[in-house]
Amino acid sequence: MSTKEFAPDRPITFAAEREMPPMAVSLGTTLANKTGSWRYLRPVYDEKKPPCNHACPAGNDIRGFIALILKGRLAEARELLCETNPFPAITGRVCHHPCELECNRREFDEPLSIRALERLAGDKGYKALRAPHKRHEERIAVVGSGPAGLSCAYFLARRGYHVTILESEREPGGMLRWGIPEYRLPKGVLDRELALLKGMGIELKVGVRVGQDVRLEELDADAIFLAVGATKGLELDLPGLEAEGVLHGLEFLKRVNFGERVELGERVAIIGGGNTAMDAARVALRLGAKPIVIYRRTRAEMPAIPEEVEAALEEGIEFLFLAAPIEVLTTDGQLKGARFTRMELGPPDETGRRRPIPIKGSEFEMELDNLILAVGERPDLSFLPEGVELKEGRVNDPVLVRALKAPIFAGGDAATEAGTVVDAIASGRRVAEAIDRHLRGLPEPAKGEEPVLVPFARINLDYFEPRPRVQGRTLAVPERVTNFREVELGLSLEEGQLEAERCFSCGVCNQCDNCITYCPDVAISRHDDEYEVDYDYCKGCGICAQECPRWVISLVEEEK
Amino acid sequence: MAAEVELKAGIPSGRKVITGNYAVSYGAALARAQVIAAYPITPQTQIVELLADFCAEGLLQAKFIKVESEHSAMAACIGASAVGARAFTATSAQGLALMHEMLHWAAGARLPVVLANVNRAMGPPWSIWTDQNDSLSQRDTGWIQYYCESNQEALDTVIQAYKVAERVSLPAMLVLDAFFLSHTSEPVEIPEQGLVDRYLPPYRPKYKLDLADPRAFGGITMPSEYFELRYKIQKAMEEALAVAEEADLEFKRLFGRGYGLVEPYRLEGAELALVTSGTVTSTARLVIDRLRAEGEKVGLLKARLFRPFPTSLVREHLLGILKIAVIDRNISFGHGGIFAQEIKSALYNHGQPPLFGFIAGLGGRDITPELIEEIIEYALSHDRPEEEIIWMGVKR
Repeated sequence: MSTKEFAPDRPITFAAEREMPPMAVSLGTTLANKTGSWRYLRPVYDEKKPPCNHACPAGNDIRGFIALILKGRLAEARELLCETNPFPAITGRVCHHPCELECNRREFDEPLSIRALERLAGDKGYKALRAPHKRHEERIAVVGSGPAGLSCAYFLARRGYHVTILESEREPGGMLRWGIPEYRLPKGVLDRELALLKGMGIELKVGVRVGQDVRLEELDADAIFLAVGATKGLELDLPGLEAEGVLHGLEFLKRVNFGERVELGERVAIIGGGNTAMDAARVALRLGAKPIVIYRRTRAEMPAIPEEVEAALEEGIEFLFLAAPIEVLTTDGQLKGARFTRMELGPPDETGRRRPIPIKGSEFEMELDNLILAVGERPDLSFLPEGVELKEGRVNDPVLVRALKAPIFAGGDAATEAGTVVDAIASGRRVAEAIDRHLRGLPEPAKGEEPVLVPFARINLDYFEPRPRVQGRTLAVPERVTNFREVELGLSLEEGQLEAERCFSCGVCNQCDNCITYCPDVAISRHDDEYEVDYDYCKGCGICAQECPRWVISLVEEEK
Repeated sequence: MAAEVELKAGIPSGRKVITGNYAVSYGAALARAQVIAAYPITPQTQIVELLADFCAEGLLQAKFIKVESEHSAMAACIGASAVGARAFTATSAQGLALMHEMLHWAAGARLPVVLANVNRAMGPPWSIWTDQNDSLSQRDTGWIQYYCESNQEALDTVIQAYKVAERVSLPAMLVLDAFFLSHTSEPVEIPEQGLVDRYLPPYRPKYKLDLADPRAFGGITMPSEYFELRYKIQKAMEEALAVAEEADLEFKRLFGRGYGLVEPYRLEGAELALVTSGTVTSTARLVIDRLRAEGEKVGLLKARLFRPFPTSLVREHLLGILKIAVIDRNISFGHGGIFAQEIKSALYNHGQPPLFGFIAGLGGRDITPELIEEIIEYALSHDRPEEEIIWMGVKR
């Protein structure tokens, strides 16, 4: 009889050797032997958090959108990103991508090109958004249309609020529009992303400066969000700064971005090591100048995105490290040059970076046509009562609270020190949630448990082969330095899928079926995308957990 | 897996001068081995080389599996046999020793794998020459063992071994001396494939690994059943004696050649019986002929089947003879020659003629006609052996 028809529910016993087969062979199925009773460890599908997701200030599901790209589902990939970030086409270009720093693949070969993949989803998965149903009566005024203001408006609109954005400039976008050069973030891309917000029914009023064209108290809103950014360049305490030919980094970028013809001389020094300094230098190069970046620390301490520094070097921009200006040299109010001192690095300061200390007697002079200061920015809060300081969330300043009917909130660069696009977007989202809770009378959500992250050591490397990262193509240097064409050209779908294949999918099941393949008890089955362990037969050997390439399966001790 | 395969051109039959190793290859090919898994070792390697050639040329439609050790070779044969394929391997000395665990497995799982072992002395010290300690060390693994005297017998024994093994569901080993047979050419009759097919039908096991009829094999067995399964192996061994005898007779009817399980040679009226195995037998035949011509009453019993041991045949041929002299090309350290022990134990309780146990030819040292004469001389001139072990040719 076939064993398939013969499934005894109890062991077969033999009265005599004649009844027995010649060897140890089952005469029926062995299902009566519930080997699960031997188990003291239980495998459970227990997804964990990939370090990239955790590192993303916006909380993007990076692993998730990359999995969708792998399947060629770009619109869904963008949609997933838009759950936490309204502008993947923008962050896909300009984000400082802390995710890539945490990518486990970094320890294996090279981190995934996450930013380039996000851009692919953002660009090629683009589709119009419908206006969400306006469920709530409340109207919210957002002051500032930079990434924080836009993000807050987007998330509030999704929740069904009426949102009006007030922008002092004649075009929206804030720093995205006038702080970031065209060759990094083309205006067309920005406009396309902004069009989506208009499609959602968000009202946008440009050329309205709060505190000048309209007073804060006059805003007709049930809640106000201040997202005015950090727009004022920090000054250095230098004699001669008022000279003709001295510029401020942000102001310079803004004028160029708004199409003004900025005349530069040949020799232009940019002071600073952040992204504004890099942008100013590369813009100056494109305007025909011969820029030199002068930074008081070394390359290792530069706060700029490493790729920006790399690109500046590629383009032939000079760098002078460990030097700082001490005096601006002028003739008849006209910049002639500057005097600098050499620096050396001392012990670490409060930022953890080594403090630069001037070297006595090391001063030198440099002839210059322009000096661009890019040493940091701070918010311009002149429209607020004296002494008001902004922190992310509800503003509790008594003067302000008394003056306003509506509750007022702050976020973005005006209220945090992060200073990046993605942090501003994240801040906008957090504030949108806070405003929603406030208006709906909801409590603060309880702080969840710290997520379990997947460390590199938990990746089973037997299942991966080293493969170089797919780099997006870039415009050749000679083709870019005389114009403002976008430097990075992005990935094709094929390139993106090739790159997406490299993703370890840390802690998140991608249905590789290794567990099924290796289970010696045939106790694992798959139903669509869900796995099921038959605990009647799972002996708890742990092979499935060992052979899971990405630490999805955990072994937990059975209760005694 | 077990489906019949057709030889394309087929193995050409007829008389051929070939080595003992090649004779074994022809035997395995004619038996239509379906899976061959082996690891090379001197002096066996040529056996599987020729089989690999047969496979490559399409003369033999078998799966040739290259493995990383003899342990794996036997494991592969076990797997093949478990799905109902006819499996073959060949080895020697350390290779056979490395298979030891798997030899138990094949027998315990009742799988009729056939193995050719070219007797080579065990190292250390390294030796590539012949003696029987490698195969006799596997005495208790549950394998049928045949010891061959000639290249023809080696070829024929492969075919007989499959017949017996598959009938009783036990693995079988045929054993031949290194170099004296393995590398020595002799005229060999290569039988017709059709005739071999008539003698050896396809293997059709009752229980096998089969996706259509899944079963668990070799699972843990409780004391309540294990004992009976051991009993059944012994019963199968006992049955194998009759089956082997019948198989040899049938072979003789079809091919005109038979060997018996033991072969008496000029034992009529003998007062001294010499007992030999392997190639020593051929040398001994010459000596017996010469001594008979001189009027000495001496004869010979060739031991061919070692497991199962043909106890009653041994008794039948040896009881009534005054003295027995056994030549062992092996030594069970701490006791003596293994064939001598086996013969002794067969005769115990059945009259106990004086038995002389000689150890000779270890590590491939020649056992010459003069040495055999010396052995016979000793046995004839002593009433009883002066020592339990009589060492022939030790330089003292």
